[in-house]
Amino acid sequence: MSRLLQEAALAGEDVAWLKEYRGRGRERFAAQGIPSAKTEAWKYTKPNMFLQNDLVYQQVVDEVRNRPELPFETYKISFVNGIFAPQLSNLPPKIEILPMIEAAMFYPEAQALIGKLTDTTKHPFAALNDAYFNEGCYIRLEANTALDKPIALMYHTTQEARGGMMHLHNLIVLESGAKAELIEQHSYEGEVKLNYFANIVNEIRLETKAQLQHYKYQNEAFKAVHIALNVVNVKSGGIYKSFCLQKGADLARNETQVVLSEPEAEAQVNAAYMMNGWATLDTTTDIEHTCEKTFSSQLVKGVVGGQAKGVFQGKIHIAPLAAKTQGYQQHRALLLSDEAEVDVKPELEIFADDVKCSHGAACGQLDAEQLFYMRSRGIGEEEAKAMLIDAYLDEVIAKVDNEKVSEWIKSLLKM
Amino acid sequence: MTDSKNDIQIADESGDKYKYGFVTDIEADMVPMGLNEDIIRLISRKKNEPEWLLEKRLQAFAYWQGMDGPNWAKLQYDKIDYQKLYYYSAPKQKKAPKSLDEVDKELLDTYEKLGIPLKEQEALAGVVAVDAVFDSVSVATTYRAKLKEKGVIFCSISEAVRDYPELVQKYLGSVVPYTDNFFACLNSAVFTDGTFVYIPKGVRCPMELSTYFRINSRNTGQFERTLIVADDDSYVSYLEGCTAPQRDENQLHAAIVEIVVLNNAEVKYSTVQNWYPGDKDGKGGVYNFVTKRAACRGKGAKVSWTQVETGSAVTWKYPSCVLQGDNSSGEFYSVALTNNYQQADTGTKMIHLGKNTSSRIISKGISAGFSNQTYRGLVKVAPQAENARNYTRCDSLLIGTTCGSHTVPYIENRNRTAQLEHEATTSKISDEQLFYCRQRGISEEDAVSLIVNGFCKEVMQHLPMEFAIEAAKLINISLEGSVG
Repeated sequence: MSRLLQEAALAGEDVAWLKEYRGRGRERFAAQGIPSAKTEAWKYTKPNMFLQNDLVYQQVVDEVRNRPELPFETYKISFVNGIFAPQLSNLPPKIEILPMIEAAMFYPEAQALIGKLTDTTKHPFAALNDAYFNEGCYIRLEANTALDKPIALMYHTTQEARGGMMHLHNLIVLESGAKAELIEQHSYEGEVKLNYFANIVNEIRLETKAQLQHYKYQNEAFKAVHIALNVVNVKSGGIYKSFCLQKGADLARNETQVVLSEPEAEAQVNAAYMMNGWATLDTTTDIEHTCEKTFSSQLVKGVVGGQAKGVFQGKIHIAPLAAKTQGYQQHRALLLSDEAEVDVKPELEIFADDVKCSHGAACGQLDAEQLFYMRSRGIGEEEAKAMLIDAYLDEVIAKVDNEKVSEWIKSLLKM
Repeated sequence: MTDSKNDIQIADESGDKYKYGFVTDIEADMVPMGLNEDIIRLISRKKNEPEWLLEKRLQAFAYWQGMDGPNWAKLQYDKIDYQKLYYYSAPKQKKAPKSLDEVDKELLDTYEKLGIPLKEQEALAGVVAVDAVFDSVSVATTYRAKLKEKGVIFCSISEAVRDYPELVQKYLGSVVPYTDNFFACLNSAVFTDGTFVYIPKGVRCPMELSTYFRINSRNTGQFERTLIVADDDSYVSYLEGCTAPQRDENQLHAAIVEIVVLNNAEVKYSTVQNWYPGDKDGKGGVYNFVTKRAACRGKGAKVSWTQVETGSAVTWKYPSCVLQGDNSSGEFYSVALTNNYQQADTGTKMIHLGKNTSSRIISKGISAGFSNQTYRGLVKVAPQAENARNYTRCDSLLIGTTCGSHTVPYIENRNRTAQLEHEATTSKISDEQLFYCRQRGISEEDAVSLIVNGFCKEVMQHLPMEFAIEAAKLINISLEGSVG
């Protein structure tokens, strides 16, 4: 059995269904194991390095000294080393936001939804997440409500969490016509070579005409492993719009699975990644059009330098009879160094004829002519390159609707 | 031989569209059913092979026994019982024929039905040379004399093993080693015959070389082996066309095509594949598991694969280019059409290893009926492959609501100077196009053919003339019944 499965003293062990739920997670993880190079879904992102690390499951509380804050006002839900930190949080009034374990134990309507969207037989880390089901939060917006500020999930890791692993499970429900903005920030403090494993599962349900803007900034420490799975179900007229910027970690994967389950459901999944050093950053999407008149679009752009590796695996699945659907997908990568690598697998799986579907993927380096144009106007080489990279990523950042958020993201690219 | 008349089955009576569904009643010289070391020794002995080749076969067989068939493709078919197949079947004949007059008349008649009367072709002088393959052994090779003048070797693999052992030993298995994959390994153990082509330095082959493959005897697996070597500064265009008689059992075909291209040489390989696709209900049909690969070993070497795939119940085929030499280039043009319950998982691999290498992939897929097809391709750029260039375009057309079309490209780039582009679209025949044609008095079926042929034009224009015409016809035949 993998070292990742350890004995843990978790709350609610006396609750029968919780015990069974965690047990099932353990079994399913044990059955699948850590994916190897032969596991098709993890072909390019090989998390075997876990085996070499003795990661421990422990919940360590620590004092936060230096957490990067967001440059605009939000309702904050903070986690430090994977544990809910109420003292650092400022919860919105009137909105149902609860620590996950509390919701699971005392709120039958939350309990009924937990784990229902995720197929843990096909995702070993989601199964592992279930095995340690404890932390995270439950957010529910009632019908036709809207918030004046975004909700920010702030995950912060300190030196105390070295060699540890954390598993968080969030459940976000937007009732009919509700609207919200959700920001996730993953940060750390102290030594950059901090190693830990963060495993996050988000289950997101958008009811009829609900809209969610989901932004994520992943800036984990340089030796961290970050595996995130976003499972989204969008109902009639609902819109799920996401943007994820990945910059940190040694190995990171942000996987988004969207099921457009009713007519006129829509998903826009955009992402950017930017790295140097030795990191492997993976963006994986799986958009399932199960119904007619659904729409999806994806734009992912990456800048890869050093000896880093960028991975994009995108899939659009169109079910039989899902007529009048549209699915678009674009991936672009810029390689800055001789040892950088990009692996791409954009996939279309189409079982209906009345559809418009396309995907495109391109790889290249900075345009020498553009660089020359700027150099000949007296702009230094480094500055010219930075400007070109900015311009390159601007296309995808422009997809962010909230101006404050897009300004923030632009400022993150400069660092 | 009781009845010398060809037994023409099906054709129109059953309402099937397969034009070439007949069985030639000819005695086949068969080896017992099943596969073991003794069968391999028997095949080798029957073919009077040298010891080194038998050893290679046995080595492959030993390796194959430890292998499992591939299961990653989007294909569903019944498990093949390899012990229930015949691995050798040769048309019975007394001795090797010296001219066409000596060739069994039945064979010649068969070819006539297929539209390649050898006699006529000889009269047509110098258009196309046909190395006709009937089941597993080459029976007639025309125009060899003329090719010999130029120093071109165009013969069956068995003859090549006998007459040019040093060339065969040097290149056979050098592009597709027996360890490559399950079906290639099987082929390496049991291949019966195939074609060998060698174009010497500086020679431009004066005519297009062509082989017609036929599967004939009941339950006979076809294990063809083709080896083409183009020496420095040479050029050859090779055509391969296939038709097979109608059968109820699924027939297995696991061929290997190896191409070696040296400095500044160019090879054009065109295929029209029209094996029996099974009937309307998905019963029968050929299983086509082919390994095709070209190695551009020399500087400036060029390879171009063009394929039109309309046949077979199951197709598993990825003609590839290994671009080793600097400035070498590879091209892949493909039209795949599936109807009824056909399944095709096909595509290409472009492996860029040399500097300034370029590749181009144009794939057009048409699915109709209950068929499913997948484009699966790999573009890989190695760290040392400076300035690699790839352009990939995959378009799919769906006809009807019950078929599927999938695209699974893999792009692996390890060099920043590489410029890679991939585009894919999926759509149906637009109502406007259809309306435009119908308005001008064109029937719906003709309109669909017209539009589909237009959709494939980019690929069809890379086929040699004779093939292009046949291919266009094939597409129309294959589409029949898919509209309305």
